[in-house]
Amino acid sequence: MSSLTLRGVRKSYGNVEVIKGVDLDIDSKQFVVFVGPSGCGKSTLLRMIAGLEHITAGDLEIGGQRMNDVDPSKRGIAMVFQSYALYPHMTVRENMGFALRFAGVAKDQIARQVGDAARILALEPLLDRFPKELSGGQRQRVAIGRAIVRNPQVFLFDEPLSNLDAELRVHMRIEIARLHKELQTTIIYVTHDQVEAMTLADKIVVLRDGIIEQVGRPLDLYDDPANQFVAGFIGSPRMNFLAGSIVEKGVDTVTIELANHGGTRLTLPAGGGAVGDQVALGIRAEHLGLPGTGTADITLDVDVAEHLGSTSYVYANAGGEAVVIEREESRHETGKDRITVSISADKAYLFDSKGQRLR
Amino acid sequence: MAQARLARREHLTGWAFIAPALILLGLFMIYPIVWSLWMSFQVGKGMNLSFGGFANIERLTKDPVFLRALGNTFTFFIIQVPIMITLALLFAVALNDATLRFRGLFRTAIFLPCVASLIAYSTLFKSMFANDGVVNQALMALHVIGGPIAWFSDPFWAKVVVILAITWRWTGYNMVFYLAALQNIDRSIYEAARIDGVPAWARFRYLTIPMLKPVILFTTVISTIGTLQLFDEVYNFTAGTGGPSDSTLTLSLYIYNLTFKFMPSFGYSATVSWVIVVVVGILSLIQFLIARDRRSS
Repeated sequence: MSSLTLRGVRKSYGNVEVIKGVDLDIDSKQFVVFVGPSGCGKSTLLRMIAGLEHITAGDLEIGGQRMNDVDPSKRGIAMVFQSYALYPHMTVRENMGFALRFAGVAKDQIARQVGDAARILALEPLLDRFPKELSGGQRQRVAIGRAIVRNPQVFLFDEPLSNLDAELRVHMRIEIARLHKELQTTIIYVTHDQVEAMTLADKIVVLRDGIIEQVGRPLDLYDDPANQFVAGFIGSPRMNFLAGSIVEKGVDTVTIELANHGGTRLTLPAGGGAVGDQVALGIRAEHLGLPGTGTADITLDVDVAEHLGSTSYVYANAGGEAVVIEREESRHETGKDRITVSISADKAYLFDSKGQRLR
Repeated sequence: MAQARLARREHLTGWAFIAPALILLGLFMIYPIVWSLWMSFQVGKGMNLSFGGFANIERLTKDPVFLRALGNTFTFFIIQVPIMITLALLFAVALNDATLRFRGLFRTAIFLPCVASLIAYSTLFKSMFANDGVVNQALMALHVIGGPIAWFSDPFWAKVVVILAITWRWTGYNMVFYLAALQNIDRSIYEAARIDGVPAWARFRYLTIPMLKPVILFTTVISTIGTLQLFDEVYNFTAGTGGPSDSTLTLSLYIYNLTFKFMPSFGYSATVSWVIVVVVGILSLIQFLIARDRRSS
C-alpha cells in the first residue's frame, strides 16, 4: 500500500492546458475521490497517474518513487474503467488471470489468486461465463476482480458506476466501500456524482477547469466550502444562492440587502468586502427554516413541490431567482402557492462576485 | 371475413411490390444458375448438345489441363490469401495508431490500388516486370540478382508476378475492413491490458486477433472466392493463354477458353464452373467451422 504525491502537475495538448498545476498528497490506504463537472480534468489526472497520458510538467510519486516516465504496468497500480474494458472473447476466469500469465506467475498460483478474488467479489458461480452473459453490475465486479488479482498498491477507478442503473449504483457503491475496508489499499476514484464522492471518500478533491478548488473530508467540504463553486457542487439539492449587495460594514460583520426580496437585510459575521459590492448569499435547502425561526424571513412563489415520503422539496422562486427548500416536517405548507421561509445568518455563507468566500 | 379479405389484399400488395425484383432476379440469376447446372450434364460441341449424364465429370478427372488449372488456382489461393490477410491486418493495426503521422495519406495510398483501372495496372505491371523493366533493373542495381529474371516466361516467376499483382491490388481493400473493425474496439480494453502489463505482441495475438475474428473470417471467405475466380490479371498478363505452358492458367480462364476460344464446349465449361461453386462452398464451410465461436461449439 502506497502513498501518492502530485507536485505541480500539468498537462497540455498543444496549446490547450487541461491540468493547470495540481499539488496533492494522498496517504496510504486513503480513499480519495476526484470530483468535478465534465471537462474539469479529473479523468485526465487519473490517466496521468495511471501512465496512460504523459505528464507535461511536474512530478508524480508513488510510494516515494518518481513515476513520471515509468511504464504503466510497473507503477503498482490497477485501473477499473467506466466501460469495464473486459476482454469479450475470454471467460471471467480468463479475464481475471490473463495479465498474470505475462507476469511469470505459475498456473496454479494464477488459479489461486483468481479464486481468492472471485471469493471476495462473489464471482465464483460466474467464472466460466463470458462478459456478454453478465449483467452490468457483474461485469463491473469482474473488472474490479481483474484489478484485485494483480494485488496493486493503488487502485484507480474511472467513473466505474456511471453505466449502471440507479439501484445497482447504490449497491455497487456499498460494495466498493466494503472492498476498501477489506483490502486496505489506496484508492483514487473519479466521479462526477457528488453523492458517490460524499459517501465513499476519506478525502474529496474538487476540480474545476484543471485546478483543484478544494481538498478535504466530505463533511468539511459540505460545512465549510472554500468558494461558491464547491458550495454549489457539493450537496444535493444544490445550495441556494441569493443575489445581494453589501450595504453596511461592521468590525466583524457585514450587512447585505437581498436583491429579489423587497429590501430584506441580513447581518452576517464576515470580514472583507466593501459597501456596494455585489455578493451571493449561500444557504442550503435544509437550512431554510420555518418563518420566524431565523434572522430574516423571505416569501417565495412556489413552482413545484416534490414529495419523496420522508422529505419534501419545494422549488420556488422570487423574481426569477430559484430557491429549493427542504422540509421533513410541516409538509402541509408545501402545497401552498406562496411559502415563507427563514434564513439563519449562522447557517449562511457569503461569496464575493468572484465566487470566493467572505469569512 | 373482412379481416381475411384484408389480409389477402395485403399479401397481394406485398407480392406486387417485390414482383419486379423477383422477376429480374429469376430471369438473370436463378434461371442461368439452374440452366448452367442442366448444361453441365450436356456433352457435345457448339450447339450440337446431348445429355451425357456424368460424362463431363468423368472427363474432368482425365483432363490434364483442368487438373493443371485446378492446381494453379489452389496454389494462388494457398499462398496469396494468407499473405494478403496477414499484410492487411498488419497495415490496419499500424495505421490505426493514433500517434502515427500522415495516417490518412497512408490509408488512401494502400487502398487506392483496388479502385485503379484493371487494364491500366495490368499494363503497368507488365512493363515493370518486363525483362528490361524497372523491377529487374532495381534488383540488379541492388545486386540481389545477377541477370534479369524472365518474369513472364518462367513458370515459377509468372506465378509470383500474379500473386504480387493481386496482393498489391486487394490488400488495401481488406485492410479497410480491419480498420473499421479496429475502430469499433473499445480503446480502454487496450489500456487495461497495458496497465496490466500485457506486452504489445500479446495484445495483438490474444486481444486484437480474437476480437477481429468475425472480420478475418469474412475477408478470408471473400478473398477465397475472389482468388478461385481469378481471371482478369492472368488474362491481361498472358494475353489470355495462361502461359507460359499453362503455368498461370486458372479455372476461370480455362472456362473462358473452353467457351469462347476453343471449339465451344458449353456443357463441359458449365461443369468446370460448378467445380468452382463446390470448392468455394467446401472451403467456406471449413473456414466457418474453424472460426466457430467457442461457446456455440
